[in-house]
Amino acid sequence: MTHPSVPPVHVRLFAGLREQAGWGERLIQLDARPGAQRTTAADLWRQLALDGGPGEEGAELPATVRVAINQAFAAPDSPLSPGDEVAFLPPITGG
Amino acid sequence: MSTTSPVRPAAPIVVQLLEAPFQPLERLAAWQRSLAAEGPDATSSAAESHFIGRVRPTTAAGEPLEALELEHYPGMTEAQLRSLAEACAARHGAGAVLVAHRVGRVRPGEAIVLVAVQADRRGPALRCVQELLEDLKHHAPFWKREWSGGRGTWVAGNTPL
Repeated sequence: MTHPSVPPVHVRLFAGLREQAGWGERLIQLDARPGAQRTTAADLWRQLALDGGPGEEGAELPATVRVAINQAFAAPDSPLSPGDEVAFLPPITGG
Repeated sequence: MSTTSPVRPAAPIVVQLLEAPFQPLERLAAWQRSLAAEGPDATSSAAESHFIGRVRPTTAAGEPLEALELEHYPGMTEAQLRSLAEACAARHGAGAVLVAHRVGRVRPGEAIVLVAVQADRRGPALRCVQELLEDLKHHAPFWKREWSGGRGTWVAGNTPL
């Protein structure tokens, strides 16, 4: 059960993660029922089965994948708020 | 919520993400002209250090490289580069900082990154350039994909220092 008035979370994937998942952006409705446990970035990773193919739900967020919430690095166990932009970032290779 | 330091250094920080090939020496000259136009500041510009990184002609596996593709996170990449540069300049007491970084498809031999730092002495200028370069290689969201033989491979990690 979702509340249509609650803005969804905007999930973004980059580089190899995006290609592995087959999508780069998705809107996800958090469980906004009163008393519901707040969803974390790591929860979302498991729910979206981002570590494997369909049906492999449950794999943990690997230590090599970093999380950004609203375009700033964040801990994987940070609770998400409606309207947040949460990104999963594979190992960075800049410069 | 803000991740920026409450004490902002007075030094100007210039961050540029470039989608087309650039000439680092021309960028450097333009940056120096713009700083000079802001007025002479003898204490902050006695030393200046630069780093130019270019794309090497081979892949990590030793194959001929056709191009390096640079993906980034629009918005976060610029903000992160600025924040890293501000923090580095503040740690070393450095002055003005320039970071120019390519995005998109970069060919072998082309410049991919330019870092320049002004300070009142060589130590802070040299140290800040090296540290900022390492910081951005690991903490500014960029991802490299090597193209060779028509196939693209995401690069797993940075080359050793």
